[in-house]
Amino acid sequence: MAQVSAQTQASAQAATSAEARRPRRFFRPVNILIYVLLAFFTFTSLGPFIYSLVSSFKPETEVLAFPPTLFPVHGTFDNYAELLKGGAFTRYLFNSLIFAVAVAVLNVLFSAMAGYALSRMEFPGRNLVFVVTLAVMMIPTPVTIIPKFLVMNSLHLINTYWALIIPSMVQPFSVFLMVQFMKGLPKELEESARLDGASRWRTFYQIILPLVKPALTAVTILSFQGAWNDFLWSLLVLNSNDMYTLPVGLFQFKSAHYTQYSLLIAGSMFNAIPVLVLFFIFQRYFIEGAVGSAVKG
Amino acid sequence: MASQPRSIASAPPLTPNGRRQLRRGTGARAGETLAAYLFLAPYILVLGIFTVFVAVYGVGLSLFKVDIGFTTPEFVGFAYYQKLFAQLAYASDSDFWISMWNITRYTFFVVIGETAFALLLAILLHNIKHLKGFFRTVFYLPAVTSSVAVSLIFLWLYTPQGGINYLLSLVGIPGPHWLEDPNFALPALMILNIWSTSATFMIYFLAALQDIPTELLEAAEVDGADRFRVFWNVTLPLLRPAVFLVVALGTIGAFQMFDQAKFMSQGGNGGPLKSTLTPLLEIYGKAFTDNQFGYASAMSVILFIVIFIFTLVQRRLIDVKN
Repeated sequence: MAQVSAQTQASAQAATSAEARRPRRFFRPVNILIYVLLAFFTFTSLGPFIYSLVSSFKPETEVLAFPPTLFPVHGTFDNYAELLKGGAFTRYLFNSLIFAVAVAVLNVLFSAMAGYALSRMEFPGRNLVFVVTLAVMMIPTPVTIIPKFLVMNSLHLINTYWALIIPSMVQPFSVFLMVQFMKGLPKELEESARLDGASRWRTFYQIILPLVKPALTAVTILSFQGAWNDFLWSLLVLNSNDMYTLPVGLFQFKSAHYTQYSLLIAGSMFNAIPVLVLFFIFQRYFIEGAVGSAVKG
Repeated sequence: MASQPRSIASAPPLTPNGRRQLRRGTGARAGETLAAYLFLAPYILVLGIFTVFVAVYGVGLSLFKVDIGFTTPEFVGFAYYQKLFAQLAYASDSDFWISMWNITRYTFFVVIGETAFALLLAILLHNIKHLKGFFRTVFYLPAVTSSVAVSLIFLWLYTPQGGINYLLSLVGIPGPHWLEDPNFALPALMILNIWSTSATFMIYFLAALQDIPTELLEAAEVDGADRFRVFWNVTLPLLRPAVFLVVALGTIGAFQMFDQAKFMSQGGNGGPLKSTLTPLLEIYGKAFTDNQFGYASAMSVILFIVIFIFTLVQRRLIDVKN
């Protein structure tokens, strides 16, 4: 009797919890509140971008109008035309592109190589290199900007692309990400390749790399983004108008035109839009990269 | 075990290390080590020079008087540290300590704000079924956009007659002169940074929430706990490691704020009235405007130690096991 009632009670409880799982956890008013909040945060996240994008097509008077207009009343391409006049901006874009592409290509290659050695080869000193990799990720990089600058200065690389590219061409975080992805692959893969007489390099290049394509994509995109967005280091090592990357160029431009908001907003679009386009195409990899870095804690 | 078939396999000596393996028999391991270090060569070179060496060099620099192109470096010992700590006595007149005080307040509010906001976003997203991917993408936009573009946009939105004050006026709040008012310039930067960094940490929390075994939550519900208690007593304690990670990374990031202050502070040097002067702005100015690289390095070292201590204290406070 007692047993039966206990059983029914248990099954009743199971039933209510099963039933509760859906309707109660997604209880209507709570659900509505959640979506209202999400809609509000969509407005706060997206609003500034959309508002500045449409405002970059407004004349200066309208950009400063109060109350503000949402859509341009007198739409114009003048801001963009003004920016591109004289070719300085095209040069900044070109420099930024060289920097970002070089860093992306070199970093993905070198960090994959380092990640391969650290995750799939046995050699003395491996743990030391790995521990140093983890440790230096916690060093706040700007704290080292001054000695880094002096090293570049004594190498006579100031105001060259090399000064931008070399320190970023293989990044500890990317190496860490590669190790995380590669260490899970089965050992047999390589052993059979080695039995067939493939060298270490060919095993790496033909067997391992194709298997970690998501990691390669993530590292490529994240390092492109990092270089494209970099400001502090570029500001230190670049000192002529023909070498400025877009962020540094925008800073110089801002110092000269600090009240011409229509131009500043149009300029910021050059900096923001390429990465946003990449993000829309490859968003999975951006987010995987961020999660990968969460693992290190 | 694995080395035996390998040395047979490398009988056609394709690579230098293959040849070495044949010649030395047990040299397979040496070959493997050489190969590994060849793979690691670019990384070790860059890591060695631009991270490890540079960190040590920076500490060494702080003991010298260094100016580029004028005099040879001169050993001054701990003079710069003594000078900086002596300034603590009249900290409100010392640019360095003003900047440290600014950044401490800034970090305090930004870290609390971004952690809370990131957790809120993650919990909201974790509890919906529809449009999850859409919202995650939208929330992540500020995190991928460059701080330079964001600074330029907010420079405009924060103008006295700008978008933010317009929205405030709609709900009847008279907006301040954000970036021109010493009382509001730093808070303006705080709000901007909470806005732009929360999404990254939201992703961390989402990952942590997904790792919580559902049986645990169901067990608590079966025991009659309501949603709030399940969250408070089960979910939140399990999120502790993620909270520590977010707080630690947030602190390290916030202490280094530079781009936004450089773009948005009046005069680009921490105005108005030094209310947005950050340690990095001060270090940058000391080194590249005043040509005092040793002095600036001493400031960097102090900044580093302060960040390190903060991280350790947080670890103790949040009490992460293991």
